[in-house]
Amino acid sequence: MRPQVRTALFLFPAGAWFFAMLVLPLVVIFVFSFGERGPAGGYVPALTFDNFLNLGSRWAAFRNTLVLAPVGTLTCLLIAYPLAYFLAIRANAKWRTLLLILVIVPFWTSILIRSYAWIYLLGGQGLPSLLNALGLGNPRLINTPFAVLVGIVYGYLPLMVFPIYVSLERLDKRLLEASGDLGAPPINTFLTVTLPLSMPGVATGCMLVFILLMGEFLIPSMLGGGKVFFVGNALVDLFLQSRNWAFGSAVAVALVLVMLITVTAYMRFTRRWAGGRDDISLM
Amino acid sequence: MRLYVVAVYLFLYVPIGIIVLFSFNAGKAATQLQGFSLQWYGKALSNTFVMEAFQTSLTVAMTSALLATVFGTMAALALQSVKGRVRVVFDALIYIAVMVPGIVIGIATLIALVTLFDWVNPLLTAIWPLADAAPQLALGYGSLIAAHGLFSMALVIIIVRARIAGMDRSLIEASSDLGATPFGTFRQVTLPQIFPGILAAFLLAFTFSFDDFVIAFFVAGSQTTLPIYVFSSIRRGVTPEVNAIGSMVLAVSLVLLITAQSILRRRAPKS
Amino acid sequence: MTDRSDFISREKFMAELARYKKGSVSRRHFMGVTGLGLATGVLGSALPGLRGAAWAQSGIGDRVILASWPNYHDPANFEAFAAATGAAVDMSVFGSNEEMLAKLQAGGTGWDVFVPTNYTISTYVDLDLIEPLDLSRIPNYDLASFDPRFAEPGTVNGVVYAVSRNWGTTGYAVNTAHTAGRQMASWKDFWDVTMAEFSGRTMVHDYQLTTIGAALKSFGYSFNSIDPKELADAEKLLIEAKPHLFAITSDYQPSMRSGDAWMTICWTGDALQLHRDIPEIVYVLGTEGGELWSDFLAIPKGAPHLDAAYALINYLLDPAVNMKEVLFHGYPVADKRVDALLPPEILNDPIMYPAAELLTPLEFGAAVTLTDPGRAEVMARFKSA
Repeated sequence: MRPQVRTALFLFPAGAWFFAMLVLPLVVIFVFSFGERGPAGGYVPALTFDNFLNLGSRWAAFRNTLVLAPVGTLTCLLIAYPLAYFLAIRANAKWRTLLLILVIVPFWTSILIRSYAWIYLLGGQGLPSLLNALGLGNPRLINTPFAVLVGIVYGYLPLMVFPIYVSLERLDKRLLEASGDLGAPPINTFLTVTLPLSMPGVATGCMLVFILLMGEFLIPSMLGGGKVFFVGNALVDLFLQSRNWAFGSAVAVALVLVMLITVTAYMRFTRRWAGGRDDISLM
Repeated sequence: MRLYVVAVYLFLYVPIGIIVLFSFNAGKAATQLQGFSLQWYGKALSNTFVMEAFQTSLTVAMTSALLATVFGTMAALALQSVKGRVRVVFDALIYIAVMVPGIVIGIATLIALVTLFDWVNPLLTAIWPLADAAPQLALGYGSLIAAHGLFSMALVIIIVRARIAGMDRSLIEASSDLGATPFGTFRQVTLPQIFPGILAAFLLAFTFSFDDFVIAFFVAGSQTTLPIYVFSSIRRGVTPEVNAIGSMVLAVSLVLLITAQSILRRRAPKS
Repeated sequence: MTDRSDFISREKFMAELARYKKGSVSRRHFMGVTGLGLATGVLGSALPGLRGAAWAQSGIGDRVILASWPNYHDPANFEAFAAATGAAVDMSVFGSNEEMLAKLQAGGTGWDVFVPTNYTISTYVDLDLIEPLDLSRIPNYDLASFDPRFAEPGTVNGVVYAVSRNWGTTGYAVNTAHTAGRQMASWKDFWDVTMAEFSGRTMVHDYQLTTIGAALKSFGYSFNSIDPKELADAEKLLIEAKPHLFAITSDYQPSMRSGDAWMTICWTGDALQLHRDIPEIVYVLGTEGGELWSDFLAIPKGAPHLDAAYALINYLLDPAVNMKEVLFHGYPVADKRVDALLPPEILNDPIMYPAAELLTPLEFGAAVTLTDPGRAEVMARFKSA
């Protein structure tokens, strides 16, 4: 078989799949975004920009997402990095695998059930009652942006730890020794050697978490009590309650555009830092 | 630092501990411990709907992961010898598949398929010889596998490509210099080297599909996957049965991960 | 079957009901004269004949898929159904009619039976999403026993699409342990207290009809208004109140029970269930008005297990079973036969059967609220705010 034919044959299934299940649905959403809401909901073909002009009514949802997604990503990073560092560099080789597995395993319990545990922990009978007993007042923690942030960090921590760990693990430990031998204090070693070399992992982790956060709707819905609305929640509402498919499509298109812009900008920015890997290397 | 690490693990496991703890609740509430009992495990295992949801999840995950791995690997291999526009298009498609949020994919797939069905089903009814028994397209296994497979395939391509990029090319050249057929080279040189990547990609695709809620929520139609079942259980009013299900899935994953890890350890010292 | 001459004529029943609602006669008089308070003897002896019948058939398949509301069904009744017929009930729960409609519009729900509210049925018929009912397959449904006010919406253009399951009211539940003796009686009280003493402790439904309705009522507008100016006022109030809300959800019982929330827009049965377990929680029907509604059992188009669907509906309408449901969920039913089986404490319960002067200002939901884009947008903007 000629190599070109073989190549084409090999590419065909994936290509067809991408076309049918990615390109076509996105085109449909794009077309629908110019349509109108049907009389009882749904979609009626039309050609109008009204939906896009109306996007401002969901500004709060976009704002919440664009604020909590980076904040959540950053918080995740700050908590995950020391853990990944410990696992990659300080932990005993014998314990390392087990500890790593223990980090990943929570990821396997449904996010729904894990978030439900937080409803209990942050609700009146959980942490606040504990704080109350300790005389620290009775703060309302559930159904707040704080609760959503906790849920986010809790849900995505394993996802952030893993790429950073992989990146740190590949580090040649001798470089760290050499730096120490040459008289640099530990903090300098960290800042000038470890941190820069781990940047690919940091960049990957941050991007993964950020992308997932932008589309998040479960955690705000469960831990935000319907009060903290992400773009994801606005979408669910538009398709499963208000049934305004046309406007919902416009919101979806807007979300995709926002993500395209932010993620591309982010990747350009980190490429200068991290010495450019242009595909997401997970293994 | 050790203290910090302990604190983080506590943070990760206290909620899970609570879930597991309440799964043994003798009472009905998911948040008030009233004695110890295994009844909820019994209830969950004998609940037809739970078992069916589990089976659906398993089938969808297995099928979508297999298809995604096979097609994705093929694509990854083929992309090695492709340049120019085709390469750019594929790179863009993969990028988009990973970047577009699951909820947008779920919704877009839903309305695209519903529109398609609304158009095709009347046609089917019209042309089918027995008007009453015309097959009708609907959301279900097919749409689940198709939607999950999409994202999984993108993952597979990325992972396998990275693996191929890290391969030792000289071995391939040597193999063809020595007269092996392209297929022979592939089978005996390339494949063993990229196999750990393929396996890892398969596991990742399986996990993604099994745990996925967002996409399934929109495209599952009348089928129920385990995450969908858990979601509607929570809406119905949480009983410890949900905790029991969660704990069981957790235990199984733990065992699987540890097993996979020990197998991989033995196969390849450096994966 | 039983001799029809035992019951009063439909016209007299409606006349008595109108008098009762106007307050001209007492509840006891109404119950007596319409036969609702009749001794159970006659009816009780008639029932065993009914019970042996239709719903206990086998061969209907192994499952029936039900879409319903929170805290609406006694699980024990479903277990009995499964034991008798071999069909297990798979129930999913929804918080608003809009959600149900959205799922049905998207198609492929796989539902066999669902529970629409009175004002939605005409829309379902228009959209061809609902199946006309074959009443011969629901022998337990005796039209004459049902209060027509609550059963009528199930019939559209002379065709029966849905059978009455229960009725109820929409008001609000408040935990008086925290009100410090303040009398809560109106919707204005609800919103005022929400933004003051109960800040952070109030819930509203994730359901446009009741939440927007509650806001509209506090201004004295109609619960069903689609007038843009009135909706604008309501939206302003809602957005003002939002920071003071604990949650926006139709599944409010857990938070009321745990004490996280002290007040919530509430339906009759939930109020009864809460009050039963926590007597400090009382039910208030806003003096300005509110919603009077009735819920139905219906079959969506394309239900996969039609036999099982009819069997379940027939089972749930069996007065003996329906009575047990009432004892569990606390919603009144429009079926005289069931009222005859209920103990007097239930029949006299002010939450289930509110006093006439509280019932009069209540409005049935209007079909237009389901489809009106203005109301949908107000709700969506409120949630997004």
